[in-house]
Amino acid sequence: MFFPKGCADDLPEQDGSLQCAVCMPLAVLLTVLAVTVSSCATFSKQHWPNLASYKPSKQEINSVPFFPQKAYQCGPSTLAMVLTWSGMPVEPDAVVSKVFTPSKEGTHQPAMISAARRYARVAYPVSGAEEMLVEVAAEHPVIVLQNLGLSWFPRWHYAVVVGYNLEDRTVTLHSGTTRNKRMPLQVFDKTWARSNRWGLLVLSPDDLPATASEDRFVSAVLGLERAKQWNAAVEGYKAALNRWPGSFGALMGLGNSYYALGEKACAADTFRLATERFPTEGSAFNNLAQVLWEQDEHKKALAAAKRAVAIGGPLSHVYAKTLEQIQKHSP
Amino acid sequence: MKRFRSNLRPVSVVLTICMLCLSVPYTPCAAALIGTETILDATDAKHARQNIKEILTHEDVKRALENQGISLKEATARVDSLTAREVIALEKRLEELPAGGDALGTVVFAALFVFVVLLITDILGHTDVFPFVTKTASE
Repeated sequence: MFFPKGCADDLPEQDGSLQCAVCMPLAVLLTVLAVTVSSCATFSKQHWPNLASYKPSKQEINSVPFFPQKAYQCGPSTLAMVLTWSGMPVEPDAVVSKVFTPSKEGTHQPAMISAARRYARVAYPVSGAEEMLVEVAAEHPVIVLQNLGLSWFPRWHYAVVVGYNLEDRTVTLHSGTTRNKRMPLQVFDKTWARSNRWGLLVLSPDDLPATASEDRFVSAVLGLERAKQWNAAVEGYKAALNRWPGSFGALMGLGNSYYALGEKACAADTFRLATERFPTEGSAFNNLAQVLWEQDEHKKALAAAKRAVAIGGPLSHVYAKTLEQIQKHSP
Repeated sequence: MKRFRSNLRPVSVVLTICMLCLSVPYTPCAAALIGTETILDATDAKHARQNIKEILTHEDVKRALENQGISLKEATARVDSLTAREVIALEKRLEELPAGGDALGTVVFAALFVFVVLLITDILGHTDVFPFVTKTASE
């Protein structure tokens, strides 16, 4: 896992009075640096789609607000920008305590993801140039992790991609203290490649990523359940079911989220639907049995629990326990 | 003192009943729903297991395994003995192999072939290539 320590690209340079003892090694260093940089200055085409024919060839998202970062705090400020854009207005200072690790002067990627979830937003990681371009084209700003330094002298930095122009080969970023910073694609890719081209979408749960796949999106919504954002999870699972009506995971997640909200009637309806659509899934019958039993529908609960036990599978020990409990406590 | 105690008795009875009331409503909820995470893991593992078993039934793989003295039935049983987490890790490896255009290209197949043979020998404890496989037998 990468760790963006710096984010200090926009901090002023030290003033020029360097001691001579420092100058010599510095000169050597700069020479090495120049050689290293020139030797790898070619654009890695294989990681990007064909730029000449890519459609749309340019895109600018104008609706992303800009918050200039304070020292080292690119994580909180980028997160605040996309959260606010997604309809969750928040100031960078409010995000700091949720993501920033003072001892490291930086923000871990998992901290970015969990903070987005705590603000009831779906955190959906994307990777690679193709996915990033597709999302920006769909007007979804993408948080990217760059290493503005070198692999052995890292300066990790978060920025928000808010546009691209493949005709003049630039990427537009909200970065550090600069709004709409235009960066040559080549430089951007060099700095981004060092994080394996890691990107993050922060979206309202009903807004599906353009690159969404069933597994990845349902897992992202599951993250909302973990963050105890049940209402957002309900919305997310519903969006998933609209796109992938055959998603067993999303249907069960919806039932579980309703249950967590205390909406047992909705939970029972959802689990019942799951048993009808997926009659070979024991877990659907198990959860239905549990909810029905809690609603004092003992007869129906007993029948569902028995079905679960009959289906069996790797979770059969749980089904057996549910059945035992229902039999023990039923009148 | 005695008198004080006997006066106190009704108080303690009331208190005891109150304490009971506090704890009773929660006792029947011992079992719980199966969480979404468990369900997703189980579904993923099921698909992964199916995919791996499908590869095992391929004629060339079958023959190679038989040359090693492992029947298809035994190989399938070995895959069944992997935990959900192991099977998912395994399938991830499969996805990382070079992807072929249609069906199983020769190059892709060669890679799969080596992969599966190593997997089975790993489970048997002859080799130790995949760290996520729990070794069962080694004498």
